[in-house]
Amino acid sequence: MLEPELKDIWNNSSRTSQITFETNQLIDELNAKVSDIQKKIRNRDLREISASLFGILIFGYMLYEIPFPITKLACGFSIMWFVFVIFKFKQSKQQNMPAKFSLSLIEQFEYQEATMQYQANLLESAAYWYSAPAFVTNLIFIVGLGNPVDYSWSNSIAESFLPLTINLKIMTIIALALFYSFTIWVNKRAVIKGIEPLLNSIKSMGQQLKKE
Amino acid sequence: MQVNFEQLLEKNKHKIFRICRIYAGSPMEPQDLFQEVVFQIWKSLESYAGKSSIDTWVYKITINVCLQSKLNLDRSNDKTDRFESIHFTPIENEIDESEEEKFRLLKECITTLSETSVSLIVLYLDALSNKEIAVVTGLSENHIAVKMKRIRKKLFECITPKIS
Repeated sequence: MLEPELKDIWNNSSRTSQITFETNQLIDELNAKVSDIQKKIRNRDLREISASLFGILIFGYMLYEIPFPITKLACGFSIMWFVFVIFKFKQSKQQNMPAKFSLSLIEQFEYQEATMQYQANLLESAAYWYSAPAFVTNLIFIVGLGNPVDYSWSNSIAESFLPLTINLKIMTIIALALFYSFTIWVNKRAVIKGIEPLLNSIKSMGQQLKKE
Repeated sequence: MQVNFEQLLEKNKHKIFRICRIYAGSPMEPQDLFQEVVFQIWKSLESYAGKSSIDTWVYKITINVCLQSKLNLDRSNDKTDRFESIHFTPIENEIDESEEEKFRLLKECITTLSETSVSLIVLYLDALSNKEIAVVTGLSENHIAVKMKRIRKKLFECITPKIS
């Protein structure tokens, strides 16, 4: 078979359909899609940040309301941790920019590899920056809870959900330990099942391309 | 840099569609991929700085979008939601069955190549020079020449007995 013949088959392959555009409508649809994606990103950011803002409000209230000094300290640490989580999310957004399709193939593979590696590192280290600090501050918070009578403190709402007895404290600590262990497991699983196979595909495609 | 989007699409629509037909596979139809390429061209048009020719730039976007769809990297964007303003009308009386069969065999052979070799071969079939392929891929011209020789050989070994 000759090269021109092959190129003919190739060139004829797009002649199966007539492709037409209604340009003004297309531009409207393209703009709508851009807005839709931006809206989805904004909503996702808002959801992530609002969970931390809610935590700041709750622990801020408890810092003001609760009389136990160690628990107050834990509230302060928790607020600092929530601020750190917001910062971490913002930082990860900056690192996780969408794909740049106008890059060359090699640059695109390198860019995607760096992005996926960053995501993998972020999730793998979540035990150190997310679960462990949260568990430790929760632990200090619970251990610091004393007897309200000793501090002449009374708040029916707070008292109804705070684990004030030793049994409740132990149960809450166990539940929290299980919860944070679960979050570590979920993150590790996301790396193993979701990110690593993709990362390996990107690496192997990049290597394939560079290989002579 | 000012580029007329409409003219750009008109000029490049067939070559984009040819490449999309190679990369398409369940659940992405060539039309879905084509639409995604059009969308990414629209989004990236502002950043086109004129460092390479606009046609080479379109190839970069097309190949990157097609490869990304293979990896399924961008799940936030529903690519099967079709635009109503792009119409694909089959040209039934012009479709030559034997040409379609030849294309099917060509696609069969192309898909036996590695993903990155597929990118190079479609650029070659679209008559890009090694220099232009080098711009799209980021490899050197010499590197492209060496790779293309091997890939072309593989393709011809596969397609020749099938078609003749």
